[in-house]
Amino acid sequence: MTALLETRDVRYRYPHGPEALRGASIRIVQGSKTALVGPNGAGKSTLLLMLNGMIRPDSGEVLFEGRSLSYDARSLRELRRRVGFVFQNPDVQIIAPTVEQDVAFGPANLGLPPDGVKRAVQDALASVGLSGCEKRPPHHLSGGEKKRVAIAGILAMNPDLLVFDEPTSSLDPASSEEIMELLDELVDAGRTIVISTHDVELAYRWADTVVLMEQGMVLASGSPGDAFSDHALLRAARLKPPWVLDLYNELILRNVIERGIPPKSVLEFTDLIERNTRGHLPQDEPGRVYVCDADATGGDEIRALIGAGIVDHVGAMGSRAKEFANREVILLDFTYGVIDKCILKALIGESSLIITTGGMIDHVHRRIREYSLESGRMLAAIPLGGRREAQMSGEPIVW
Amino acid sequence: MHETLEDFALNNGLRDVSPALKLALGLCCMLLSVSSPAPVAPLLIACSLTLVVLFSAGIPAGFYLKLLTIPASFAAMSILVILFLTGGGEVLVSVSLPGLPLTVTTGGANLAVLLLARISGGMCALFFISLTTPATEIFSLMRRCGLPAAFIDLSMLIYRYIFVFISEAEMIYRSQVMRLGYGSLREAIRSFGMLAGALFLRTWESGERLMVAMDARCYDGRFGALDETPPVSAPALVAVALYLAALLGIACLTMQTTIF
Repeated sequence: MTALLETRDVRYRYPHGPEALRGASIRIVQGSKTALVGPNGAGKSTLLLMLNGMIRPDSGEVLFEGRSLSYDARSLRELRRRVGFVFQNPDVQIIAPTVEQDVAFGPANLGLPPDGVKRAVQDALASVGLSGCEKRPPHHLSGGEKKRVAIAGILAMNPDLLVFDEPTSSLDPASSEEIMELLDELVDAGRTIVISTHDVELAYRWADTVVLMEQGMVLASGSPGDAFSDHALLRAARLKPPWVLDLYNELILRNVIERGIPPKSVLEFTDLIERNTRGHLPQDEPGRVYVCDADATGGDEIRALIGAGIVDHVGAMGSRAKEFANREVILLDFTYGVIDKCILKALIGESSLIITTGGMIDHVHRRIREYSLESGRMLAAIPLGGRREAQMSGEPIVW
Repeated sequence: MHETLEDFALNNGLRDVSPALKLALGLCCMLLSVSSPAPVAPLLIACSLTLVVLFSAGIPAGFYLKLLTIPASFAAMSILVILFLTGGGEVLVSVSLPGLPLTVTTGGANLAVLLLARISGGMCALFFISLTTPATEIFSLMRRCGLPAAFIDLSMLIYRYIFVFISEAEMIYRSQVMRLGYGSLREAIRSFGMLAGALFLRTWESGERLMVAMDARCYDGRFGALDETPPVSAPALVAVALYLAALLGIACLTMQTTIF
């Protein structure tokens, strides 16, 4: 595959500082999820700043779509439109006094007409789940919300590649998961993403390519399973292996499981262990996974389902769905990693309901279909309909 | 976090009234207050706008009073001086300190009352604007009035960074207090100096980071101008016009009124 963005043996020394990059080469493939992993001071941020021309390497070159970057104002502008950069601290990036004006900053500077700017702002805010916050001032937002505004500000310029410097730093676990789910949605929509992090668990779970860095050099790059399995390499990079992978490798050494594709989630791991110990997945009648659209369903309907014991667990995906659940006083069991959790519950015969909105409904159906194909256990996501059908059939609202 | 004027401006009973109308009302009241030769109209403005702020906008009385004490403290000092130093008319009160005879005359008293009335009228009008109209809406008004874009963009940036500045200052102050800064007067002076120094450096850094952030987002001299402010409603317009006309009438009729 051709690389969308590539650095070749780049070196850089900060004025009056040590050499931050000592010959780093990375390749970023179109549509990939790349994580630069390394300890503090490994040169991750410096390398990221080169990707959109904020720093010019002392030697070596950076190539975008196979062409070496030129550093005149015009080329840089075009590059920065196509390679968006989300800073670690959103307060640095948010510059306008309202959310709307800040998100409009990029598109306005690209010379879009007022209508185009408005549409870009609305689309960007909708895709980060902040519709309705247009007029709020940034200093009234929480850390997670500020991060979303910063992302929306970049998305509004419609870049092909997004660079995130430490996307989850100083966010609480739930906000971190939500931001990473948002990043997954962006990749689903055809964008390429590069992040830097020192969180090996996060990189292992999320990335499809991991670049290990230490002291301004690339130690290794490859699939997360390979990159994180070499303990000597990890020690050199002052990192520890992700515990899921560690456990997997130890279980192989004890002959409990066979070597295959290293699992990345609780769902994959439990399936793996079950196949290896029992020879198959649970064969009982699986539970059901209901999916409902928060914009088209009433709270009474969902409460009735829970009350009747048809649904054992409720999860919500996306901020609009969570707001809906909050408003309707529906207790949520799962707020992140929702699909995996519901599949896990379905496999032990318990039914669950996923409340979500918009394009994520299709995503749920697709994910469950994929899982059914891979695992051979037939699970189906059942859409939940409106009130009228339910009354006419006299049945729980299922078809 | 401190409760700021901005918090109320964003969330008050008059939030959906056209900012142009609110600004016009406030500015006219200010002009009337400072140009009225008699204290009646300015006092009337102060009272009526206070009622509007407290009841229509729903600003808590405690907060509003606290806000008024800021200009009141300045006013009190200058009025005291004027009261004793301005001559003319009959003597009302006379205090004789050794070597410093102090007298209050009717001329001085009248001028002091007029000044107090003008200050309260003007300040109430100013607070009316700042408590009911968010700064961002004022920026869009300025843009519509044709002020230079560079001026407005700069004001928007400054405005945004005021809040970053406040939170930075708060953070530094807290970390000083946690390590026992501001213990004695000497220590307080030293700590405050450090606070100012640290803030200066951080401001400098922020400025540089801002340049980078704007470059990264293709800055080309343009800020997004999404100006959508609530429209002027006819009843509100009529009410404001009537109110201002009545004030003007009262101001003309009471031009010669003095208290002493």
